[in-house]
Amino acid sequence: MRIESEKQLRDYRKKLADADKKLTKKIMVCHGPGCLASGAEKVSEEFEKQLKRKKITGVTVGSIKKTGCHSFCEKSPLVAIEPAQILYTRVKVKDVAEIIEKSIKGDEIIERLVYHDPHSNDAIPKYPDIPFYKHQTRIALRNLGKINACDIDDYIRVGGYEAAAKALLKMTPEGVIDEVTKANLRGRGGGGFPAGRKWKSCRAVESDVRYVVCNGDEGDPGAFMDRAIMEGDPHTVLEGMIIAAFAVGAKDGYIYVREEYPLAVVNLQKAIEQAEAIGLLGDNILGTDFSLHLHINRGAGAFVCGESSALMLSVAGNVGEPRAKYIRSVVKGLWDKPTVLNNVETYANVPMIIANGADWFTSVGAPKNAGTKAFSLVGKVRHTGLIEVPMGTPLRTIIYDIGGGILKDRPFKAVQTGGPSGGCLAEQHLDLSVDFDTLTKHGSMMGSGGMIVMDDRTCMVDVAKYFLSFLVSESCGKCIPCREGLYQLHKLAIAISEGRAQESDIEKMEHLSEMVVTGSLCGLGKSGPNPFLSTIANFRDEYLTHIRDHKCSAGVCKELIKYEIDAEKCDGCMACIAACAFNAISGKKTKPHVIDQELCTKCGACVAACTREAIMVL
Amino acid sequence: MKHDLSRVPEIIERYPQQPSSLIMVLQDIQKEFSYLPCEALEQTAAKLGVPLSKVFSVSTFYNAFSLNKKGDTVVRVCIGTACHIRGARQIQEQLETALKIQAGETTKDGKFTLEVVGCVGACAMAPVVLTNDRYHPQCKVNTVKKLVAKR
Amino acid sequence: MVSLTINGKVVRAEEGEYLLAVIRRMGIDVPALCDHAAVEPYGGCRLCMVEITKESWDGWKNYVTACLYPAEQDLIVNTHSEKVIELRTSLLDLFLARNPETPLIQKLAADHGLTKTSFEVVPEPNDCILCGICTRVCDEMGFAAISMVNRGHGREVAPPLNEAPPDCVGCLACAQACPTNYIKFEDIGTTRKIWGREFELLTCEKTGRPTITREFAAFLSKHRDIPEEYFKVNDEAHRDELASTMGRITRWSVQEETK
Repeated sequence: MRIESEKQLRDYRKKLADADKKLTKKIMVCHGPGCLASGAEKVSEEFEKQLKRKKITGVTVGSIKKTGCHSFCEKSPLVAIEPAQILYTRVKVKDVAEIIEKSIKGDEIIERLVYHDPHSNDAIPKYPDIPFYKHQTRIALRNLGKINACDIDDYIRVGGYEAAAKALLKMTPEGVIDEVTKANLRGRGGGGFPAGRKWKSCRAVESDVRYVVCNGDEGDPGAFMDRAIMEGDPHTVLEGMIIAAFAVGAKDGYIYVREEYPLAVVNLQKAIEQAEAIGLLGDNILGTDFSLHLHINRGAGAFVCGESSALMLSVAGNVGEPRAKYIRSVVKGLWDKPTVLNNVETYANVPMIIANGADWFTSVGAPKNAGTKAFSLVGKVRHTGLIEVPMGTPLRTIIYDIGGGILKDRPFKAVQTGGPSGGCLAEQHLDLSVDFDTLTKHGSMMGSGGMIVMDDRTCMVDVAKYFLSFLVSESCGKCIPCREGLYQLHKLAIAISEGRAQESDIEKMEHLSEMVVTGSLCGLGKSGPNPFLSTIANFRDEYLTHIRDHKCSAGVCKELIKYEIDAEKCDGCMACIAACAFNAISGKKTKPHVIDQELCTKCGACVAACTREAIMVL
Repeated sequence: MKHDLSRVPEIIERYPQQPSSLIMVLQDIQKEFSYLPCEALEQTAAKLGVPLSKVFSVSTFYNAFSLNKKGDTVVRVCIGTACHIRGARQIQEQLETALKIQAGETTKDGKFTLEVVGCVGACAMAPVVLTNDRYHPQCKVNTVKKLVAKR
Repeated sequence: MVSLTINGKVVRAEEGEYLLAVIRRMGIDVPALCDHAAVEPYGGCRLCMVEITKESWDGWKNYVTACLYPAEQDLIVNTHSEKVIELRTSLLDLFLARNPETPLIQKLAADHGLTKTSFEVVPEPNDCILCGICTRVCDEMGFAAISMVNRGHGREVAPPLNEAPPDCVGCLACAQACPTNYIKFEDIGTTRKIWGREFELLTCEKTGRPTITREFAAFLSKHRDIPEEYFKVNDEAHRDELASTMGRITRWSVQEETK
């Protein structure tokens, strides 16, 4: 069957919706990255196995949806029961029978599996009531947790491909560009460049061939929003690209997916095949003259390939070395043809803008920063997961209301946004509103959306050293400032973390950073010193403590710390002695143990093994 | 170690015989042999019409490619930011001690290769270790060495 | 044609012509280590950075590599502003940490007041400045026998698989173009050694001296339509022949005229 008109699409959707209504209950098993890592696949298999055996009216194997990320990853594996909106957390295979018995056959809630408020310990069974979800607004992630990850029927049932139909059948390419421009959709990959303007410039270039490219090379460590979308709702990416391709006049498109995401490749490939099979992709989409062929390119592990010119060279099978951007890729991009490159989340917003209009989109978010932004909220925060909030939401709301505060109620120290190109914001920035311009103004950036929360046990010198080390290993090496400059910055950061530096080294690093920012060829180098610059701006004292006092107050920098056992707290259980691979701990049962500083490698095994928090890191 | 390279031509032919297929072909070869055998690189260069020097550049530029044979189990410690601040380095050091190799090396018996990886996108489950393609979420410093216990 | 201002002088340039060419035409000395007449601009060494602005930019300035930035109408360029000099000095400080014993780098650094790097010298420094001229020239010649391998700080120029490069013909273009003489070769009698390979040099029928490698001659006759006979004599002999021919022609034409 091929869908060749708007009516056919509408009829098909109605048929799917009617069939769905027959299901009285649905079991939404999260198959997002976190839940899969925690064994979600076994849980959904168990549901299938048991439902095949049991006969329950209104419930079939089709009631089980293997959805994209439910986003409350900290509590994974997650299972939601619809339409009751009950969320079960940390579901194990052995819980499945009970869930079927009580919540599927009956309408009972299993209290031990629902979320409990960490402070009051009250049970909150329905997910819309959980603070983690309450403050979120979902546009790009709208279908995650709601539909089968890889099922075009489920996508169409909830309104999928309607926006593409509207664009292709009722709008002109210029009209589409105008709508996206009016919506002020800014690139979600980091820079925040208006997508509409990009599309317009690309369309304006005289050329027989144009391309659309989707950047799915989510390289920022600590970010997995795009992964969740590509794996959990691949059709929204395709639909966004169809609309973009129609707008700029492209017949071919490429999706560049990073190699660490094999499931994203599989699901996108399936989605392409499904869409082609019913005429929503390929030749003569929806019976029109417009054709688009989408291809998937797997990245091969290079952070620099997130940079547009490097990505395009990589798609063409080359080494991903950025080139000077004095000629923009909308003019000369992939194979030197005009190319529009947007990231996954940007494309995921496009169908909603076309379907609901620019005014609707700008009604969400902040001035000049329309819509929402997805973040991966991770690090030392209580509730880690994938979130989407209106632009302009204060950092405090994100970390304390959605994230539930700092892990173990420790003091907040910093939040890192923007990946290796971004920076660290401190306590005094907690009331800033999260949008492109505010973050940039305060020395960080939106980036693709990693948000890593840090507590007082995170050392900021170590964080800067970490990012510099990452960038040194990811620099392509073409230009001197990035290749040699970041290398030297990293060396100096190591010296500080080991207590070998002088105060003048900070100045040296600042001076060198300025040159790297101005002198580097591409964005990776130009933003490379940011993690250092933002930590030195906000945490200079911590650097000075390392240099002057040879102390790491966070207890992280190995050369400057030592482990000691608190004799008051130690009950002599010998767990640390067993954990130590270096025979550095001695002591008798029930007597306080002692660490031999000569033998101790500060590996941390004893700290992890101690149940009484008796081992102090000084 | 010698490999049966008879499958190489078939792998190369999965893609259009043009230079832009280079990375995809190399990925499939890497997957098949867990490294890039020299002869396979030579065949790829010839079939796709790419100079051998360029094949070598690409092979050494991207993290996904390795010119050395990897161990039966590839242990990958995620050192993404979220994992880093939740103690990934200590996890890495534990595994280095347990396997008596540094990250990037393979044990003498060929059983394990230890690697670090930028970010595997399971940040909410930090720190994460992968053994081949299997995820081990929320690893602990004192127990992680069980993952590499000789079976 | 466009007109722009460079160091206070109004000059005309072809639209799209790279700034470095215009600057050099004016006799202004701007260092550029990865620039070479035979290949496309690269933008790797960053030493040719200049300051650009326009009256319409409200005082905003940008720093771009002259080798890659196209000349534009009304552009105002400063090749030696204080900031530019500072940038170049910092870059040379980094070069010195990588190539501390390289005369070319030492000379440029000294011109900028540097005798020693302020950074840690890299382990095992050498004379390769990673300008990529050799690999790009080799590509341009049509051999692509050597290339840049690894990435980031571990980058180096190498033949494929670090073995004698099968596509090399021993033309020496790479060694000739290398600005620091890092690429070593040896001609002993009729044997040429480069990149771990040995080539046989053809011998000039007239002078008995070596000409070019057999492989290079074969390549040129096959792909560049130069008859193989051409290489049976060396340049010196060619010049002799040409001189005597020219002499004969000149004598002949003088005779004709006097008639």
